[in-house]
Amino acid sequence: MNIVDIHIFDDTLFCQLGDLDAVQAASSALRQQTIWREIVPGLESVAVQFDPAQITPDEASHLLREQLLKPLAAAVPQIEPIAVPVCYDKIFAPDQEWIADKMGMSPEALIAWHSNLSFTVTMLGFMPGFAYLRCQEEIAKIGRLPKPRQQVEAGSIGIIGDQSCIYSFSSPGGWPIIGRTPVQLFRPENNQPALLSANQVVSFRSIDKAEFEKIAEEQYSREPGE
Amino acid sequence: MSLTVVKPGLQTTLQGSPFSSHRHIGMPAAGAADCLSLALANHLVGEAAGAIAIEITLDDAKFVAEKHSAMALTGAASFFRINGEDQSLHKRIHIKPGDEIHIGPADQGCRSYLAVAGKIDAQSLLGGQSTYLGAGLGGFHGRALQAGDEVQWTGKSEPDPTATKTPIELRPNLSGKYIIRVTAGPEISALTLYSQNKLFEEKFQAGRRANRMGLNLHGIVLEMENDEEMQSAPVFPGTIQCPPDGEPFLLGPDAQTTGGYPRIAQVIRADRHLIGQLRPGSEIQFVKISCQRATEIYRQKLSLLTPWLGAVSLW
Repeated sequence: MNIVDIHIFDDTLFCQLGDLDAVQAASSALRQQTIWREIVPGLESVAVQFDPAQITPDEASHLLREQLLKPLAAAVPQIEPIAVPVCYDKIFAPDQEWIADKMGMSPEALIAWHSNLSFTVTMLGFMPGFAYLRCQEEIAKIGRLPKPRQQVEAGSIGIIGDQSCIYSFSSPGGWPIIGRTPVQLFRPENNQPALLSANQVVSFRSIDKAEFEKIAEEQYSREPGE
Repeated sequence: MSLTVVKPGLQTTLQGSPFSSHRHIGMPAAGAADCLSLALANHLVGEAAGAIAIEITLDDAKFVAEKHSAMALTGAASFFRINGEDQSLHKRIHIKPGDEIHIGPADQGCRSYLAVAGKIDAQSLLGGQSTYLGAGLGGFHGRALQAGDEVQWTGKSEPDPTATKTPIELRPNLSGKYIIRVTAGPEISALTLYSQNKLFEEKFQAGRRANRMGLNLHGIVLEMENDEEMQSAPVFPGTIQCPPDGEPFLLGPDAQTTGGYPRIAQVIRADRHLIGQLRPGSEIQFVKISCQRATEIYRQKLSLLTPWLGAVSLW
């Protein structure tokens, strides 16, 4: 693996890896090592945290370099693609017209277009289960809202161009919102708390309001642990 | 056994050890903002350093006790009264049914920790029990305490009979002024050389927007070398980021796991507990040191604490 640069803190190392494939391969490989307390991928870099009472930053840095120099073939597990149900009704999509306008299409055409795209999860971050997605297709830059919202509802799907995101919890946010999923993105009581994983292929399935309500109800009445 | 909340104050939550090994799915650390004060409180009641205790923020708070119990208060409170009578902080006290517990507002510093001899009931998720308000999980039903809530605990630890008072030299000295040691961040060179120097020469004030997620730093406005956008990258409690407006901010325990602004510095692990005591207006001087020195300082700090607390780690 081509290690461009390791930046050192007293309990954390940041390794610049260049691209997302390298980041994901490195993250899976490093997850096999027990010395790292946290392994956090970014879009082009990965961070690992260690206990500075046990090893020094220099020792940790040597170790990380050694581990990353080993061949990392077949380290990335294959994950089942997922179709996330999305309701594009205007009550769930406050910025639909704004986005349609920027893209130069009608809201109807925008929905048809969006629900036919295929995305890949680049990473989880920001909040528990919050997913950053990237589309293979080239999409014109839409950009963020001029003024962030105080409250974006949980399940909202944001899009700024070929990058997209799904809000796992209600929070302030600046991504224009195209629709909302009734599916819970993060269930802390589950073995795998986050619905989505890095490198997973995601498509969106258009649903109406009635189905949205139905799925939402099922989600919240499910027994924990399912 | 339980305590009933009479007045919760600004933000009172159950906090102990942080969550760990879940940052890659976006789960923040959470946990006590001042882990040293938490450990000192827990030790006086015979609990592990990272056991769940009650974290009280800035404002005063009141509770009523239901049963006999041992407890201890550490941190920023200006007073600690039982039925109107002054008690010392950093000292184990015994309370009886019906006792009114009044924790004074913070004079200096920001947070206090009330520990009890017993295991506080808290939601157990993702290998932790601390409260993370952003996702409404952990602690007391994932939320801050409200008037009428009952904080319950089970069992009764047996505190060390010789450990009833924190030794004076181990009590954190809370003032309005903080020297916080940092190491340079990976994007320090996003700042002009002039601003890189200013970051460690000038004093900053904690801004009005200060909470468990982080706080704004006012003082000089830093200049960026360029406004190149960076790709989202991992951030941690103690990371100082600088957005394009040049006003840096410091991340706290509940901060997000990734960020898109240049990471210009990182508070060393040994000093990170101080972040929990910063409040709007606190004066902060950042001092840059090497990572090697930071490790030495951390290990020295642990060796000072170990004779009193036993094996302990700070976060």
